[in-house]
Amino acid sequence: MTMTVVGAVGKRAYPPRRSAFTATFWSALAEGRFQTTRCTKCAKPSFPPKPICPHCWSDETEWVVLTGRGRLYSRTTVHAGPAAFQHELPYQVGIVDLDEGLRIATRILGEAELDQPVEIVVLRYEDGDIYAAQPVRAG
Amino acid sequence: MVHSILPVHAPVTESRKKGTDMTGDVAIVGAAALPVGKWQGRAEDATRHLEHEVLARLVVGALEDAGLEKSDVSSMVFSLPRPYTDQKYFATFMANYLRLPCDGLVMEIMGNGMTAALAFQTAADQIRLGRTKVALALGVNFESAVSSVEHMMSSMRATGDVDFHTPFGFTPISWYAMDAVRYIHEFGSSREELAAVAVKNRAHAMHNPIAQFRKPMTLDDVLAQRPIVDPLGLYEVPGRGDGAVCLVLASEDVARTTARPYARIRGTGFYHEGAHQISEKPNDMIAFGAARAAAAKAYADAGVGPGDLDFAEVYAPCTIVEVLVSEALGLAPRGRGARAAAEGETSVGGRIPICTSGGLLSRGHPAYVTPFYSYAEVLDQFRGRAGGRQVENARLAATTAELGNYNAALVHVLEAVQ
Repeated sequence: MTMTVVGAVGKRAYPPRRSAFTATFWSALAEGRFQTTRCTKCAKPSFPPKPICPHCWSDETEWVVLTGRGRLYSRTTVHAGPAAFQHELPYQVGIVDLDEGLRIATRILGEAELDQPVEIVVLRYEDGDIYAAQPVRAG
Repeated sequence: MVHSILPVHAPVTESRKKGTDMTGDVAIVGAAALPVGKWQGRAEDATRHLEHEVLARLVVGALEDAGLEKSDVSSMVFSLPRPYTDQKYFATFMANYLRLPCDGLVMEIMGNGMTAALAFQTAADQIRLGRTKVALALGVNFESAVSSVEHMMSSMRATGDVDFHTPFGFTPISWYAMDAVRYIHEFGSSREELAAVAVKNRAHAMHNPIAQFRKPMTLDDVLAQRPIVDPLGLYEVPGRGDGAVCLVLASEDVARTTARPYARIRGTGFYHEGAHQISEKPNDMIAFGAARAAAAKAYADAGVGPGDLDFAEVYAPCTIVEVLVSEALGLAPRGRGARAAAEGETSVGGRIPICTSGGLLSRGHPAYVTPFYSYAEVLDQFRGRAGGRQVENARLAATTAELGNYNAALVHVLEAVQ
């Protein structure tokens, strides 16, 4: 399933770095896929993606595509932010529990309620992508 | 048996400085602290307060408070200064500035909000290991010359994953704000009940001469402030300030020779949950599991329970954090911590006073030295010199320090010895 893409104004305030390993994640995101790694030994997924399984420390992990669906665990609106984020204030951030049993922290868009379903979307700035969660529309 | 080479009637200072006689018990025997405030000044000022001059005076003051001599000290464990302190390698610079040769340990420690507690713990461990009899745990945190928006460019990278959290704009206190939102959602506590923690802490700080914020403050004042991270407003999050503290720690045999009350470390517990801000495996984030685990260890080590405590001086940068840590320590039932504060249970004179100093919100929060202020407050209470914030018959206390969103906690149980 291809992710929804939401356009954002200007450049990313604090662009993430890429390693040869995490480049796979960011490239997939640009193509509309929300991916992470899963251990081939203990079968547990991890987020952020890692070349080593944090649970059993195996170095055999594989890329898997996530549904990008989950529920909002908590959120806040940041009114006082770091220098690089001044132009985006106020903005929302939150914690999402994905359907695959992973907890992530990300930007929040729209009026999301706690424990209600959200979807992960691509947040596309002029210089590249990050991601965000927004409420799943009824129907 | 190295200690057997010491003569039985060794001069006091000699027996204080050397030997490996491990009684196992360590005490806080002296303290001196700078009032928390804006001391650093700016580059363009004609004169400025300099970190080493401030701290040197506190060293002298703390030893005087302890009734010990310069020659008694053989270890110094420093909290790392902020990057905004021009003098680097501060510990060794201070060893020279104080002309203090040490055969125990001289070092600097960094562990974000837990920094000063780790310095305290390391100094205590040197005494437990028999490597030193008297150790200083000390440091200075000057940061007020740097604006909050600039400071957050650094602190946002200490409280999250630089590539998978920071790009979204999380700030250190945004994590606590999410604790508050979840807490209100789960337990139906009100914003007003949370804000009552700030009012209570200000009422304590009004009686603390070293507190940064001492003006009277009402619940309406707290609720009227501009939002910082919803639902927390300006007075529910820590202000920024400069601070410096020197604590004198000693083996208990030395503490007894000082002929003044001291604070014995009766129990210690540390726990890191192996997570950074959030657990990737969903958990009950607002249970503060690390604080629960560390407190259980400290209580077991001390042979006491939460009901035995006379007060607690906890590390709580925001109102919600004090609520959650009070529940994790067993000082209030789950979901009742905010209400307990609103009903006066955690005020001086209440069932279990918390943050008698005024806490991080009103005493102030120069982060890398903040836990030093907590131990100093315990000593003030045990010595009966806390004035209008004095807890009657203060004999047993707990302190906490943490990092992240209480992903790790270091808990101490301290006991007054008269």
